Amino acid sequence: MILISIILIPLIASILALLVRKNVKVLNGITIAASVLQLIAALIVVISVAENGTFSFVPYFSVDSLGAILLLIVSAIGFVASIYSISYLRAEVAKEIIGFRRVRQFFVLIHLFLLAMFFAIITTNPVLMWISIEATTLSTAFLISFYNKPSAMEAAWKYLIINSIGLLLAFFGTLLVFTLLPAGEHGWIDWNILLANASNLNPAIARMAFIFILIGYGTKMGLVPMHTWLPDAHSKAPVPISSLLSGVLLNVAFLAILRFKLIIDTSIGAQFSQNLLIFFGTVSILVAAFIILAQKNYKRMLAYSSIEHMGIMALGFGFGGIGVFAAMLHMVYHSLAKSVLFLSAGNIFLKYSSTKIANVRGVLSALPVTGILFLLGFLAITGVPPFGIFITEFYILSSGISAHPIIVIIILFALALTFVGFLRSISAMVFGDSPKEVSKGETNRWLLIPPALLIGILIIISFFLPQFIKSLIDSVVLLY
Amino acid sequence: MQITPQFLFFIEVLIFMSVIFMHISRKNSSVVILYAFQSVFVAGMLVLLSLKDSNWQLLAVALAMFAIKVIVAPRFFLNLVKKYQLKFSASSYLNMPMTLVGLIIFTGITHTRFFEPVAKIVSAASGNTLLLSVAVILISLFLIVNKRGALSQMIGILSLENGIVSFASVAGLEQTPILQLGIIFDILIWVVIATVFASMIYSQFGTLDVTKMKHLKED
Repeated sequence: MILISIILIPLIASILALLVRKNVKVLNGITIAASVLQLIAALIVVISVAENGTFSFVPYFSVDSLGAILLLIVSAIGFVASIYSISYLRAEVAKEIIGFRRVRQFFVLIHLFLLAMFFAIITTNPVLMWISIEATTLSTAFLISFYNKPSAMEAAWKYLIINSIGLLLAFFGTLLVFTLLPAGEHGWIDWNILLANASNLNPAIARMAFIFILIGYGTKMGLVPMHTWLPDAHSKAPVPISSLLSGVLLNVAFLAILRFKLIIDTSIGAQFSQNLLIFFGTVSILVAAFIILAQKNYKRMLAYSSIEHMGIMALGFGFGGIGVFAAMLHMVYHSLAKSVLFLSAGNIFLKYSSTKIANVRGVLSALPVTGILFLLGFLAITGVPPFGIFITEFYILSSGISAHPIIVIIILFALALTFVGFLRSISAMVFGDSPKEVSKGETNRWLLIPPALLIGILIIISFFLPQFIKSLIDSVVLLY
Repeated sequence: MQITPQFLFFIEVLIFMSVIFMHISRKNSSVVILYAFQSVFVAGMLVLLSLKDSNWQLLAVALAMFAIKVIVAPRFFLNLVKKYQLKFSASSYLNMPMTLVGLIIFTGITHTRFFEPVAKIVSAASGNTLLLSVAVILISLFLIVNKRGALSQMIGILSLENGIVSFASVAGLEQTPILQLGIIFDILIWVVIATVFASMIYSQFGTLDVTKMKHLKED
């Protein structure tokens, strides 16, 4: 029942938010209650999975170790982003950027977005997972065009079209995988049935299926060259949504790829999928690094950084071995660090009313706490020790050094470029004097607590990884 | 009821011809009507398969598909064409001869070694039908990329989905009725959202020509 509550809570919250008339406090109350309850429910499930292996409700819903890590990320970042949204939207209403109807639309859609992601994680059926991931596109399209500006509209259209194409290709790949089933099998098909029959899959069909699945879900995950929608969508959406898109949704798409990888690997061996992941991972890291170096918009810079980190995770699974452990841990660290950066970028945007790096100066003097959070986020995301991303990147690269030394050298070069690109932009924004027209002082402490909470957790788990997370990741490593 | 592989092939040819004519058509309303016809053929294929297997649940799915893809979606799109006077904006990036070359190439690709295993999913008699459905998928992708109009892009995506449904039907990969209804519901929501977006784009840009959207480049 607790598993069902994870999808019922955001569904009920969304319906209730839709019914609210002119009372923002009620909307806020619904959001706080829903995010707290779903976090508690998710934690119960995650801890249970860490102790017992899986958590199932009838054959339709089940959470394994991989799903549990994703569930933890979605619920934790969802909780923080929801709490942050309340103060962020209040500030935007105060600036007369949006009105009540927009605020209500935001909360209705954010709950639906979370619902779709939870459903994608806990369903045991690949087609239902596909429908849920498609639902994430549909629920977030209006959030990307939230400000109703031409550029936001354009970004949302691009997002809708490119992701729809990608997901249809993923669906075609899914159907190709279904050819492994005995003729006339039209019952409930779950991941375990597919895995048990994986040896029936024609090797040529298996290869073709994985290519379509990787291109399809890889579009949603932001892998280059299917990434073109991502920087626009992530930079045009309101920041709490950007943090969910970058820190959470990309991982859910990766989850879909990993689920199919297991079946394909059982059918034809791991080499084929690993080579493809290494290729797409390397290209993504390299392209993102060069673009970050020349970036003029800080939200776009963060979006390209997400592409880079998705590439790093793909590379970890491509290299295999300790790389898989590091990639899973990287997923956790990246979600936390990217959300810190997007949420503090939201504070900067509220103060400076611009996303252009050239227009933002002296953040540390105008917004001292936000400036520190932004700096810490930058250090974390670029893998500066002692932050955990340093360790995970080190392990991923060391797992590939003997088999793919040239790729490792290319990645090291790209990581150095990314660091330089970030350093140049962040130092220009954070240091120096703020413009005279920008008032000094933080907007609201509730805009600081959520990112501060995340950076605190990130620092703690960089030094001390909780046993339940370690045991979940260990279980994933055993599978891959 | 007996359905010969030749008859299934004939229906697939009709689906294939619909997407070919979508490429050739310059009128938005023609593209919409061609999509409606294509959907009739896809739904018809499902009806035949349901009658063959006496599967009434599949028949219900086919009827739901007919309602959404043949009645609701085209009506939405035709209203859009009428409301914004979008009579002749289905222009493409490539000229007609080059478009035809593209169509030949994409159809030819389905007979390369890469797609060869697909034909073996089914019996030898239905292999070409399955390859033709893959050609519908590829040519629909080409339609999305080649057309400048937002409406044509939307129809291209729905035609791509039709290609996948016909592939699943020919290959005997239909999902449970509940899942199929879920997919059809998803398509309905997609159509509604995409149509709303098209209206919003027209309000912002005064056109549905996607090449006129340049605000992201200027940002």
